[in-house]
Amino acid sequence: MSDPIIQMKNIEKHFGSVIALAGVSVDVFPGECHCLLGDNGAGKSTFIKTMSGVHKPTAGEIIFEGKPLDFADPRDAMAAGIATVHQHLSMIPLMSVSRNFFMGNEPMKKIAGISFFDHDFANRVTMEEMRKMGINLRGPDQAVGTLSGGERQTVAIARAVYFGAKVLILDEPTSALGVRQTANVLATIDKVRKQGIAVVFITHNVRHAMAVGDRFTVLNRGQTLGTAVRGEITPEELQDMMAGGQEMVQLEGSLGGTV
Amino acid sequence: MTSLMKNLMLATAVAAASFTVAQTAAAEGEKYILVSHAPDSDTWWNTIKNGIALAGEQVGAEVEYRNPPTGDIADMARIIEQATASGPDGIITTLADFDVLKGPISAAVDQGIDVIIMNTGTPEQAREVGALMYVGQPEYDAGYAAGLRAKDEGVTNFLCVNHAIQQPTVGERCRGYADGLGIDLGDSMMDSGTDPSEIKNKVLAYLSANPDVDGILTLGPVSADPTIAALQENGMAGAIHFGTFDLGEEIVKAIQDGTINWGIDQQPFLQAYMPVVILANWDRYGVLPGNNINSGPGFVTKDALAKVEEFAGEYR
Amino acid sequence: MADTTDTDERIKEISPLRRALIRPELGGMVGTVAVFTLFALFAFDSGMFNSQGVMNWSIVSAQFMIIAVGACLLMIAGEFDLSVGSMIGFAGMMIAVFGVVLAWPMWMAILITFVICCGLGALNGWIVVRTGLPSFIVTLAFLFILRGFTIYIPQTVERKTIIGGIRDAAEGDWLAPIFGGKIGQPIFQWLGDMGVIGVFERGTRAGQPVVDGIPMLIVWAIALIIFGHILLTRTRFGNWIFAAGGDAEAARNSGVPVNKVKILMFMFTAFCATVFAVCQVMEFGSAGADRGLLKEFEAIIAVVIGGALLTGGYGSVIGAALGALIFGVVQQGLFFAGVESSLFRVFLGVILLFAVILNTYIRRIITGER
Repeated sequence: MSDPIIQMKNIEKHFGSVIALAGVSVDVFPGECHCLLGDNGAGKSTFIKTMSGVHKPTAGEIIFEGKPLDFADPRDAMAAGIATVHQHLSMIPLMSVSRNFFMGNEPMKKIAGISFFDHDFANRVTMEEMRKMGINLRGPDQAVGTLSGGERQTVAIARAVYFGAKVLILDEPTSALGVRQTANVLATIDKVRKQGIAVVFITHNVRHAMAVGDRFTVLNRGQTLGTAVRGEITPEELQDMMAGGQEMVQLEGSLGGTV
Repeated sequence: MTSLMKNLMLATAVAAASFTVAQTAAAEGEKYILVSHAPDSDTWWNTIKNGIALAGEQVGAEVEYRNPPTGDIADMARIIEQATASGPDGIITTLADFDVLKGPISAAVDQGIDVIIMNTGTPEQAREVGALMYVGQPEYDAGYAAGLRAKDEGVTNFLCVNHAIQQPTVGERCRGYADGLGIDLGDSMMDSGTDPSEIKNKVLAYLSANPDVDGILTLGPVSADPTIAALQENGMAGAIHFGTFDLGEEIVKAIQDGTINWGIDQQPFLQAYMPVVILANWDRYGVLPGNNINSGPGFVTKDALAKVEEFAGEYR
Repeated sequence: MADTTDTDERIKEISPLRRALIRPELGGMVGTVAVFTLFALFAFDSGMFNSQGVMNWSIVSAQFMIIAVGACLLMIAGEFDLSVGSMIGFAGMMIAVFGVVLAWPMWMAILITFVICCGLGALNGWIVVRTGLPSFIVTLAFLFILRGFTIYIPQTVERKTIIGGIRDAAEGDWLAPIFGGKIGQPIFQWLGDMGVIGVFERGTRAGQPVVDGIPMLIVWAIALIIFGHILLTRTRFGNWIFAAGGDAEAARNSGVPVNKVKILMFMFTAFCATVFAVCQVMEFGSAGADRGLLKEFEAIIAVVIGGALLTGGYGSVIGAALGALIFGVVQQGLFFAGVESSLFRVFLGVILLFAVILNTYIRRIITGER
């Protein structure tokens, strides 16, 4: 495999007296799906916010394409090719798919020296890109609100890919979805990975992670418990690591291994 | 015309008849519209509504009352324009802001609609816009009449309590009063402000500093009510001559117990009733009074209170 | 997983009717047709449809339109401005103070007033985005603050609450006619001569047409509607307006400068209010402390009738313009139809209720809520 596209080295993040991240190291390669697992409060959100430029690390280093990085704000990160798809906050239900797709990056055409929104271009590209992801829209003016949760995630992912994301951070894209929609999103992740984009997939669902992940990093209480490669670890082991060991084993026993 | 269309028209006519809430059978068919500047919240104008309704009923004309809901004079200008467009026989309107209303009113006059100015405005302004006449209470004349009456009742030295010094027209009442008494206004006019306790204390201070004052004029309930309280406090209630403009609950009470000698009523009923009657007679027989009509001052004394109380808010 | 999901068999094809229903202008269009039909039936010979009557409700509607365009874009951007009415009174008073009391040239008074009012709009917006307080509260505060100054300033400098003489002061000014003038006089004179429209029967203007031109107020209304519509639907900034009102957080995540958009929309609303005020004082020649009372609600009502959602993110300038037209025609038309004027509020309430219910239904269709 080639060099990692992004390396997070010993990242620490303190909020006042609270230590959210206590030295986390992760590297992500192009074309892999790197799953970041952890229970609620493990520090996943803080970690990806650091990666996408929302937070500045208290200590540690981020190396992106071989160079140390210092993002001033999320727009810098976006411009560099690090895109984040948030669980809820990335689509506007009342707006059409094509308006959403180009939100913040509207295509322009000049008529008589004045810049106008190029709707024809936007509509064409949107339909095309969505077809590539396996979603047939009724039309580019269909409102996002009429799409299912999985389809919305797919639009958001397609948008990030179209605008040249090299690292795609997915923040719990499957947590609120049904079985079939989850399958759709996972299929989308697979497609994106095959295009050579590094995917960082945040989840606390081991099965979803196992379905598409190439490597797995477990966060617990602000620390990483190591990175495992697909095939070297079982879902049960991952589950235990996320929960922090002992108690979960007992709980699981009483639940008959269903969790 | 197809029978379907006829039926439709008929149905429409029937519906329109029930739709029309506007008053009275129009025996002679004239239509008069009264436009005021008062917001909906101003209940004083209820008397006006009743006045035109009664007049319309008596002369058999259709009458309508219109006002800008918020009292916005610019909206009032639109209402006058609209009234003009609907082609009535006459428009009765106040002249609350000469600059704004001059245009719409003259346009109505120029289209052959008779206009009478009521309540607000002056006879001179009414003439300038081309109105037939002015019906209302000219402030100076009302003050003058009050002064004449007060002189007969023995007033020689007075205090005029003015709570609306920023409105020059209201101040005219004091000037007229002084001229009626035949004495110089001098510094008898007090800028009292509108705060009740301030007014009361100013009046008390003025009266103790000027013991020769034997008459007081207040220009409305705002200045009258605290003045009543002041006189009751220093024991001059009933002993000093006291006249006031306009009526109100406290004023009526004070007239009753003798603190106030009389209240000057501008008689809004007449401001509404007279123009309708005059317009109807002008339209039918071509007769018109040769001058403006002063609806006030009507002096309300203890003896006349019964009618005021009976018709308060309705015709008084 | 299959490569194509094809069409989801559970989503029914949307019928053309429903498709038309989700256009925000639809309610406005239906309402406009209904209102005109109603008044054509009930008030046709009442003078409502002669030249003067048409001009009357056109001007009233145009007034609503001017402030509705601003309120509409602001509402789509997710905010309200309750200070519009007070801004109208304030702007008129500023022109009177600068142009009459201080006797500056009228063009300068107008321009300075625009600068001050847009600045106040920006302040409104800045406070809203900075504090995160609901714009309802912030602009409510400005409703009182501006109205207070509108009464205080003329009382202090002139000892009265109405300042006149603006028309005389504007005589010969180059900028004033753009707000207070009329266009198309020759056409109307010709129509009057031909007997198509009514002429004055007597007085100094005898022989001149009663309606002698199209007031600039109407021209401004049309210009602002066209500008607002193109801005909203055909430009990048329009997309940002929708985004800022639809979901500010999502818009920020996508790199939309939400705060800038909102502040600019507050400024545009203030601009529209100032246009309204300048047209008014130029036409009437005086500024009063009570001008513009409750106009903010009339603007919001017109926008809501026109199909915009109170929660932001959805609406149309054309719809708002139609809402303003309905508002104006109903307000003036009820009078022509001979309906007691106090019933106007009843009609207004009914229309408003219908519009809001329709809007809620539309949003359910769009967002697929059940």
